[in-house]
Amino acid sequence: MRAVAIAIRALRKNYGNTRALDGLDLDLIPGEVLGIAGPNGAGKSTLMRILAGEERQDTGELRAGGTVFSRAEAARLVAVVHQEPQLFPNLTVAENLLVGREGGNVMRPASPASDRALMEALGLGPYAARPLADCTLAVQQRTEIARALARDAKVFLFDEPNSALTDEESDELFREIHKLADAGNIVILVTHRLGDLVEHTARVVVVRDGRIAAELQGEALTEEAIARMLVLEEHRHEAARGAREGRAETALVRAHGWTHRGGAFADVSLTVARGEILALMGVEGSGARELLRSLAGVDPAQGEIAVAEATGRAAIALTAYVPATRQLSLYTNLSVGDNLLVRLARPDIADGMGTLRPARMRTLAADFSRRFLVKTRTLTQGIRSLSGGNQQKVAIAQALAARPRLLLLEEPTRGVDIGARREIYRLLEAYAGEGNGVVMYCTEVPEMFEAADRVIVVSDGRLSAPLAVADHPHVEALATEVTRLERHGRAS
Amino acid sequence: MAEPIVQTRAARFSAAGRATFDLTLRLGGLAVAIVLVGLVFQSLNDAFLNTDVIISILRSMSSVAIMGLGLTLVIVIGEIDLSVGAMYGLAANSLAVIWILGGVPIYAAIPLVLLIAVCVGLFNGFLTTTLRIPSFIVTLGSYNLLYGLSLYVTHASTFNPNYPPEGFTVDDGQLAFFVNLTKQFGAHQFSVEVFWMLALTLVVGFLLHRSLFGFRLIAIGGNPVAAQLARLPVRRYKIVAFVLSAVIAAIAGILDFSFIQTSQPDLGLSQTFPVFAAVIIGGASLAGGKGTAIGTLGGALLLAELQIGLALLSPGPHAQQIFLGAVTIGAVALDLSLTRLRARRAG
Repeated sequence: MRAVAIAIRALRKNYGNTRALDGLDLDLIPGEVLGIAGPNGAGKSTLMRILAGEERQDTGELRAGGTVFSRAEAARLVAVVHQEPQLFPNLTVAENLLVGREGGNVMRPASPASDRALMEALGLGPYAARPLADCTLAVQQRTEIARALARDAKVFLFDEPNSALTDEESDELFREIHKLADAGNIVILVTHRLGDLVEHTARVVVVRDGRIAAELQGEALTEEAIARMLVLEEHRHEAARGAREGRAETALVRAHGWTHRGGAFADVSLTVARGEILALMGVEGSGARELLRSLAGVDPAQGEIAVAEATGRAAIALTAYVPATRQLSLYTNLSVGDNLLVRLARPDIADGMGTLRPARMRTLAADFSRRFLVKTRTLTQGIRSLSGGNQQKVAIAQALAARPRLLLLEEPTRGVDIGARREIYRLLEAYAGEGNGVVMYCTEVPEMFEAADRVIVVSDGRLSAPLAVADHPHVEALATEVTRLERHGRAS
Repeated sequence: MAEPIVQTRAARFSAAGRATFDLTLRLGGLAVAIVLVGLVFQSLNDAFLNTDVIISILRSMSSVAIMGLGLTLVIVIGEIDLSVGAMYGLAANSLAVIWILGGVPIYAAIPLVLLIAVCVGLFNGFLTTTLRIPSFIVTLGSYNLLYGLSLYVTHASTFNPNYPPEGFTVDDGQLAFFVNLTKQFGAHQFSVEVFWMLALTLVVGFLLHRSLFGFRLIAIGGNPVAAQLARLPVRRYKIVAFVLSAVIAAIAGILDFSFIQTSQPDLGLSQTFPVFAAVIIGGASLAGGKGTAIGTLGGALLLAELQIGLALLSPGPHAQQIFLGAVTIGAVALDLSLTRLRARRAG
């Protein structure tokens, strides 16, 4: 059975004084993959939540086939695949698929053949009996996709679904997405990856300030066109890179015989120059993420390490680490200001007796929020009131506040819109430019191309020779080279 | 460009700039509840609002309030200490044994008892952090352990320093010192124990809201994993919180022993849940990261007010228990609905 078209008319939604949706009109057509783009805070998430029946609009309506599309219907018909999987970590992958569809039987339910086929199709077969908590983020995300597919839903919302997937996994996902559309479902893809929008959607709407600012399709649908609609000011990025060319070629970080206790990599040598931004590229399980975390002292590793003049533990103490998800770096019970200051101690925010220095804390927080371009109305409001991009800036500012010499980031702009993304890159460049080092674990080539000086590809715990980003005239050239190194690394 | 930072009025409420609006709302609500309950009792019984009753409310709230202050520190960091009531009992009983039977002067016996409390706190903290046993289990265990110790050291008997057992004597000067710890004075028999309670509120309030220790305690309670990744001293802070909780409970036990002047092996056990109720009514969250000293004090005041008010009306012992339960759930339910209301408005 085909889904019926859904017409969204004059949708309005306010949160306090903030206008999230301002009379938005949109038609959802069955059989089509619709892309939604927009800077963070533009109203995308609110639109998704209303569509999924998680929230009620103030005014305006949703109609399906001439009748009002109720919240009860939405909850039944709309399936959401989230950016951060919202699943049951204590259950196995197969059980996760079953939850909510167990049927009325008294006995403990077993996976039907259709579930098993679905898991096979998504490459989840080997993980079916494994508790989700023990699976990688990629597997967890595919499980959420499988859950949406397993439900008899007619509308599928994909919210940054492939942000943590490898290229192959991504391709597989998009095959599924197209299959869903071909079967006559309504499919919506929300993503910051402009390439995916161009390649995989028939039509893209750009949401700005709570309404549809532009609709692009056919010839007009290009990455440049979407990007133009997303950012107002063109950032001259190349200029920033040029300014940093004159950096000192002396080593800031040196690791020798660096070996992961969990076996993710062994006997690795790594050098980071002063002023350098180094990208570590690798799929899940390649050892790239573990290498980064080991430099932060989060994953156990042994060997020789030196940062600036310090060695061993003292060297690790000069690093600061920003985890991949903001849930692991932000404190929802603290204000924006306190989140910026939370890694500081005496004498920055307290005197010798351990008494807080409120006036100094206010000054410092205001200073950090200006310096790190955090867009916030006040410093006392809760951290969750900020958009994702601004939360990420707070997470990075928080790590830099303690003046580390080496900043370690995992996927620094995951789920962050283009505007905020560029600002984050500029912050990293400014910080590196002061003679510090940045190492980031990346999964996206455009990110490395835009932000990094050198790229090291990690596969099976081995490091490739570094690639200088400046040697590659455009992003495709770098992507080709990275892919070649990855394949080469895995073959050897 | 970043928009200019506007310091709103709310910012001035708290030096540390915490989300203070919720807090103001919470404490305001608590104050209103305390006044309303007082007025209801007064309308039912016009002997309620007089100096004697108010003073007896303040006295009877003080041990729950003091224990609650220590417990607040543990709850803010995201752990639980079920052993505060048993620690209170062990403090009174071990003081009786060390001082009355052991003949150790009171001036040394009290520090010794506090040292025992430090050991209990280290025990709870060590098992929770290093062995990673959930604090609910650890302190459920130490609740029973400490009660067992109280039974053991006292041979399950009661002590009163005014009437030492045969063959033992208590020095009059030491007895006077001990009794004067909670001396009652004035026409209305106002007890010094109330001042101890207020002083400890100031100390814990300073620790929690004006010191680096409290700032980090709240952060760790809000997101322990992030705190660990940011290399905050999570383990040390948790151990210190357990130690402070045990020491503060011991202080409450010593003070109440001084006031009641009779120790019993099961002293304090029945206080365990009222102490939790006071902390929760005071706005602390069992999820961690949230709680205030003044809130806990207010929670204890509301409970004592209900207890004494109901006792004066004497509908029977069931009424106090039913109200304790209803108020605990009601306070949290109200809190959550206010938070939701605010979230809907602010987005």
